[in-house]
Amino acid sequence: MAFVFMVKLAISADATERTTAMPTYAAIIYSKDVDWTQPEHAAEMKEYGEFSATAAAIIRGGAALYPTSTATTVRVEGGKGGDVVTTDGPYAETKDALTGFYLLECDDLDEAVAAAAKLPAAWDGAVEVRPVIPLG
Amino acid sequence: MSEQVDADAASSLARLVRDEGRAVLATLARRLGDLGLAEDAVQEASVQALTTWARDGVPSSPRAWLTAAARNRAIDRIRREAVRSDKESAAVRMLEGEPEPVSPSAVNDDLLRLVFTCCHPSLAADTQVALSLHTLCGLTTPEVARALLVGEGAMAKRLTRARQKIAVAKIPYRVPPDHELPDRLAAVATTVYLVFNEGYAATTGDDHVRRALADEAIRLGRLLLGLLPGEPSLQGLLGLMVLQHARREARVDADGGLVLLVDQDRSKWDRAAVVEGTWLVGEGLRRTPDRPDPYVVQAAIAACHALAPTYADTDWRAIVSWYDVLLTVQDTPIVRLNRAAAVAELDGAASALAIVDDLTGLEHYPLWHGARAELLHRLGRPADSADALRTALCLPVSRPVRRLLERRLDAVDP
Repeated sequence: MAFVFMVKLAISADATERTTAMPTYAAIIYSKDVDWTQPEHAAEMKEYGEFSATAAAIIRGGAALYPTSTATTVRVEGGKGGDVVTTDGPYAETKDALTGFYLLECDDLDEAVAAAAKLPAAWDGAVEVRPVIPLG
Repeated sequence: MSEQVDADAASSLARLVRDEGRAVLATLARRLGDLGLAEDAVQEASVQALTTWARDGVPSSPRAWLTAAARNRAIDRIRREAVRSDKESAAVRMLEGEPEPVSPSAVNDDLLRLVFTCCHPSLAADTQVALSLHTLCGLTTPEVARALLVGEGAMAKRLTRARQKIAVAKIPYRVPPDHELPDRLAAVATTVYLVFNEGYAATTGDDHVRRALADEAIRLGRLLLGLLPGEPSLQGLLGLMVLQHARREARVDADGGLVLLVDQDRSKWDRAAVVEGTWLVGEGLRRTPDRPDPYVVQAAIAACHALAPTYADTDWRAIVSWYDVLLTVQDTPIVRLNRAAAVAELDGAASALAIVDDLTGLEHYPLWHGARAELLHRLGRPADSADALRTALCLPVSRPVRRLLERRLDAVDP
C-alpha cells in the first residue's frame, strides 16, 4: 500500500535526523470503513501518499488497516488464563472506523494538530491526536 | 473597627500575593517547562508569603521575594523526587544558574504565554474556565469548585487531568504567531466571558462566591488589555463586562429576585463603571471601523442602555441598528431574540412577535417562551401568553427566573 511504503521510507531516511527528544503523537485515523486496497480508493490513497511525502520529516511510523469486516475481536472470559472468545468484527460499531494511524514526532501539540489537519480523514472523518508514552 | 482594618489588610495582602504569584508563576513555568511543578512551587511560596509578610511586613520587592521562594521550592521538589528526567535536572541547573531580574516586558510575555496555554483550544471549555480561575486568578481548587458548582474531588481531578494533558501532549507555552492570534484571542475572550457569565448569571449555589467570579473576570479582562493594549476585541470584552457589572446592585432585589431592566432603579447603577465602559466602547469602535467586533458591538448595545436616563428614553433605534451590525458577524437565534426585544419597543409588539415566531431552534430555551409571553400579553392575548409561560416553566430554569415567570403567570392568569 502506498502510504505504508512511504512511511517505511520516511523511517529509514529521517529517524536519526532529529536528535533532541521530542514528543511523539499517534494520529489515529477514523474514516469510512472501506477496503483501501480497492482501485476506487486510489485517488484518496494517493492523497495519503502525498501526506507521507510532505510530512516525511516528522513521520516515525504508521499503518493502514483492512476494513473492520476483516477484524476479529478477542476476549478472554474470566480474565487471564480464561476461555478465549472471539467475535467477528470490531469491538464497537460506530459510523467512522479506526482505519489506520501515523506516529508523528513534533515539537508540540500545535505542530501535531497542524499535521493531522492535512490528513484526508480529517476532512470527512476525524483524526485523534494522542501523545505516545515514551518507553525505555 | 480594628477588626475591619485587620480584615481589609489581610484581604489586600492576599490580593497582592495572588497577583504577584501569577507573574512569578508565568516566568517560572517557562523556565521549568512544567506548569504543574511551577504551580505547586508558587502555591507553597504563596502560603509562606502570607504568614511571613503578615508577621514581618511586606518586603520591598514582593515579586523578587516570591520568585526566590518559589524557585527554592521548585528546586527542593525536583531534588526530592528520586527519578526525574534529564530535562528537569537541566531545569534545576538553569534555575540555579540564571540571574534573578526579569524585565517587565518579559513578565508580560510570560503572562501572555500562560493565558494562551490555559485557554488552548485543545482543552474543553469548562476546563479552560477552571484553569483560568485556578492558574490565572489564583483561586484554590476548593474555591474553583465552589464557584463552578462542581464537587471538590471532581474539580481536583479535572485540574489534574488538564495539567497532565498540558504536560504530556505538550500544549505549547507561547504566544501564538500573528496569523493565529485573532482566532486564539477570540478563544481567550470567550473563556473570560464564560467566567464572567458564571458570576453575572449566578443564581444558584453560594451566590456570594459566584458573584465574585464577575470581579475575577473583569480583573482578567484588565490584565489581558494591559498585556495587549489597544486590542479592540479586548476593549470590547472589558467594556461589555464593566457595563453589565455596573447594574449589579439594581438587577437583584432584597430577596434575591431578578429585576428586569425596565424596573431597575437606575440611581443604583455604578456611574464610574458606565463612564469607563463607554470609553472602552468608543476606543473599540475607533479601532474597528470596517470590521465590527462582536464584543465591541455588544458593549455598544450595553452602553446605549447604560446611558439612557430612563427606560422610556432609551434610544431603541440605535439599539436595533447595533443588533443589525451584530448580526453581520454573529448571526445566532439568541442575538435575533434579543434584537426582537428592542424591535418591540421601537416598532411595537406585533412586529417583534413576527420575528420571535420565525426563530427556530429555541423551543428548549425558556426565555424564548418568556419573550413570546410578554409580547402576547402586550397584544391582548392573555390565554396564549399564559400558555407560553407555562411552557417556559416546564423547562429547566434557575430559581430566580422561575420566580419571575411565576409572577408573570399570576399577573396574566390570576
